[in-house]
Amino acid sequence: MKRVAVLIEMKDGKVKPACLGAISAAHDSDAELFALVFKGTAAASLETLQAHGIDRVIEITSQDGPIQWNADHWARAGIQALQYYNIKTLLGLASVQGKNLLSRIAALLEAPLVMDCTAVNLSEHTAVKSQFSGRAVAEFKTRGEYHLYGMRPNALSAVPSPGKAILEMFQAVLEKSKLRVLEVQQGLSDRVDLTEADIIISGGRGMENSDNFDILFECARPMSAAVGASRVAVDAGWVSHTMQVGQTGKTVSPKVYIACGISGSVQHFAGMKTAGIIMAINLDPDAAIMHKCDYAVCANLFDIIPALTRKLKEITG
Amino acid sequence: MTKKYDAIIIGSGVIGCPIAYELAKIGYQTLNVDKLPDAGEGSTAASCAIVRAHYSTEDGVAMAYEGFKYWLDWENYLDHAQDEKGLAKYMNTGSILLKSQGHDWRKVQSNYDAVGVAYEEWSVDKIKEMVPVYDLHEFWPIKRPEDPDFFNEPEKMLEGGIYCPEGGYMSDPALSAHNIMRAAEAKGSEFIFNAEVTAVRSENNQVLGITLNDGTEIDAPIVVNVAGPHSYKINQMAEGVYEECNIKTKALRHEVMHCPAPEGYDYLNDGYHTSDGDVGCYYRPEVGNMFLIGSEDPDCDPQEWVDPDVFYAGKETYERNNQLTVEQWNAQTYRCARRVPDMAIPNQPRGVCDLYDCSDDWIPIYDNSSMKGFYMAIGSSGNQYKNAPVAGHMMAELIDKCEKGLDHDKEPLQYTLPHLGRKIDVGFFSRNREINYNSSFSVNG
Amino acid sequence: MCVKHVPDTAATIRIGTDDCIDENITFIMNPYDENAVEEAVRLKKQTIDADVIAVTLGKGTAEATLRSAMAMGADRAILVKSKSSHDSISTARALCAAIQRDGDPDIVFTGKESVDNEGFQTMFHLAACLDVPVVSNAVKFAMTDTTIRVTCEMEAGDLEHIEMETPCVIGAGKDLNQPSYPKLPDILKARKKPLTEIELSDLGIATPASRVEMIKIESIKEERYPEIIDGTADEIADTIVHVLREKAKVLDG
Repeated sequence: MKRVAVLIEMKDGKVKPACLGAISAAHDSDAELFALVFKGTAAASLETLQAHGIDRVIEITSQDGPIQWNADHWARAGIQALQYYNIKTLLGLASVQGKNLLSRIAALLEAPLVMDCTAVNLSEHTAVKSQFSGRAVAEFKTRGEYHLYGMRPNALSAVPSPGKAILEMFQAVLEKSKLRVLEVQQGLSDRVDLTEADIIISGGRGMENSDNFDILFECARPMSAAVGASRVAVDAGWVSHTMQVGQTGKTVSPKVYIACGISGSVQHFAGMKTAGIIMAINLDPDAAIMHKCDYAVCANLFDIIPALTRKLKEITG
Repeated sequence: MTKKYDAIIIGSGVIGCPIAYELAKIGYQTLNVDKLPDAGEGSTAASCAIVRAHYSTEDGVAMAYEGFKYWLDWENYLDHAQDEKGLAKYMNTGSILLKSQGHDWRKVQSNYDAVGVAYEEWSVDKIKEMVPVYDLHEFWPIKRPEDPDFFNEPEKMLEGGIYCPEGGYMSDPALSAHNIMRAAEAKGSEFIFNAEVTAVRSENNQVLGITLNDGTEIDAPIVVNVAGPHSYKINQMAEGVYEECNIKTKALRHEVMHCPAPEGYDYLNDGYHTSDGDVGCYYRPEVGNMFLIGSEDPDCDPQEWVDPDVFYAGKETYERNNQLTVEQWNAQTYRCARRVPDMAIPNQPRGVCDLYDCSDDWIPIYDNSSMKGFYMAIGSSGNQYKNAPVAGHMMAELIDKCEKGLDHDKEPLQYTLPHLGRKIDVGFFSRNREINYNSSFSVNG
Repeated sequence: MCVKHVPDTAATIRIGTDDCIDENITFIMNPYDENAVEEAVRLKKQTIDADVIAVTLGKGTAEATLRSAMAMGADRAILVKSKSSHDSISTARALCAAIQRDGDPDIVFTGKESVDNEGFQTMFHLAACLDVPVVSNAVKFAMTDTTIRVTCEMEAGDLEHIEMETPCVIGAGKDLNQPSYPKLPDILKARKKPLTEIELSDLGIATPASRVEMIKIESIKEERYPEIIDGTADEIADTIVHVLREKAKVLDG
């Protein structure tokens, strides 16, 4: 029987929900499903994993016990596990950690990897992903001994598939890594760069003043969004020019752009028209942006944004 | 639609709005129709909105100088109308016209003298003192960077410049049109948006009204074409009008570049608008301490005439929004950088790309037509932004006089500039004129 | 350092019948590569005798990006010419061969990702080919003798401090530095700096056994048809969360 493994990421001692979505990508393949976990987290994740169709949970350790975080070590240990269990297909998340590990594994095996997939077909070895910052979508076929796919987090939703999973230990043999991880500092910077953010929440004339931008910053934090502004808000001196999106500011291509109290002038659109989804919150139903967006919310942003912030905080904890 | 209007104005840009405003002030019930969602969102939005007085003709200088009076006194001009978007701001930077072979600056100077424009003659040393980042060598003739001579070491120095303390730009051109719209509405004008004109209806050579793309027919005995880059298409809709015009208009693709100012130089606050015929560029400060660089359309630059509908619909590769061509980016920024060698030139072209509505001689057409009730204020892109309030007032007077029996084609209207008290022969802007070879055939007008 | 010639992020991407993009658009240096170039040039200013070389694999038009890199301070450039497109594996092999033919590098800088194909992996394949350590998304870099200390940004603003020895590959993140753009005299100088062109076929690279093949590509239409979200503030907020999570798939929780 074919074997497919999913590289599991943990957050606060639990399996990241997005990983469960990645597992569901393998449900149709009637392969034997492996979950690869690190650092003594198998016991904690077993229940969740077997409820979602995982048959075997492999906890990877080394000759020296649990492997501390080191991308190079984790990748090499992961490869040893793939080879030991004769697994040829590996799924993971296109998260920061996933990109790091999957790319390393792909490189060391010289294996084909498609990153940030929104869909995969494991029997055809094909994957769908966006190209050119969301301006095109392409389908790829991987050819070779191994097939690696990094799924865009939450591209697929988790599908329960209750069963019983076996918990196994795999001991990798690791040499000294050329990478030395000195320290990991947590949550130091919560500033997200405008040009890199997946989500941007921007304010315009409707923000009324500089202080009100705080509610955007507060809303941005739980969803790791960057805060932008229209030219009006910058010209008025409410926020700095570095936050300006548009012709005389930055050109951005986030997956979601939330425009709050922005009328949507031509100059502004020039800077964000390639966004995946444009959402507009504006009191004026006739504002230009309300006709050129994907979701139009005709309401007071000072009611909506705090409510949204509360919901987001509930979700992200 | 049952409502009757005295006049329909096609276009709500920075010229269309003041025509409505001035007509409303003298009692006309007007309606502006625009295919875009708001006032000033068309080519007005992309205007560099430069306010300067130097033109190659005396009337040109007079009109521009008259325009100052409006920009400087914006709130009064708007009759204190409220605009929820705020008011556009006039930024006075002063304006330097470099004495170069690229400009007939002696003619400009004598026009200044004739009209009474205040100016100072600045030597090279004086300019260097005021704008230390300028390299005042002569780089003439204007070349493109592909030209092997482009990087030749200059030998001579320029002669100096003519400095006008009155000169600058409007901070937000789209907003300025919006302001005038609000002022016009306060006088009873109406505006509709997202409305594309598909027909200009007429009978027995008298205009009857327009038809919109949703089939709506709106009637009025006066229709004014202020459609900017679409102007020739509107003229083609009015039976016989396009054909009878000796001067035609077309849409020219144009790019304006943004480059960061040299480090340590507060261009936004200390800089001057500068017309630099020696390198074929004009430049002014832009938010973010950037140089906004426009081209004076030197002969070596290719001209790209486009169909405005195709351009705005984004059907061709280069469309609206800041999609600049590398070739023109290099040409304009490198030329400007010869004057400002410490200016940073980013790898990613940034700026504005839009259309000019250009007439054959780059002088606008402010005129009536052979069709009764059909007027035009067209061919105005590139060099008429600063004249918009004046043009609005002049067009309103032209329309009013013609409706009351003036045969403008035979006896052209002599229009008096309200502030300067000077008379302008509106026949100068006639559709039937011969091409005016005194024109600079460029943004300089 | 390795750079890539990519379509301007503001350009509209159109796909032709042959699944190739319409290349009659503006191309620029991949924005993250600007950070890579900047860091290499800064390092050169501190270190004596450093030779900063910009390398790319691409068509002849990619010369423009190499000239940009040289205008930003690179000393010379290598263009590996190929008309066809390449996946990360063969790109890495080509870059590796070109780099090694030129001499053994101490550090290879590159952008943490390209904004066109967004494969996120070429630098890792390159490091594997060179058999050197690699880090990505570097936001801080310091070098003493042959030891490199680099800080990489991980999820949710977590920072990872890593030490390694040269030679190595470093993927530059946006926060690594603020690229200083060239001035006209720099651009002029760059026109005269040496640029070596190598045909890919001359590098004698074996065809890799594995590859990623593009079988279909479509551009995404830009028309938008607004869907109205209404209700109470709480209902609207719920719908927005739903869109973020289910439609855009951008929420982790």
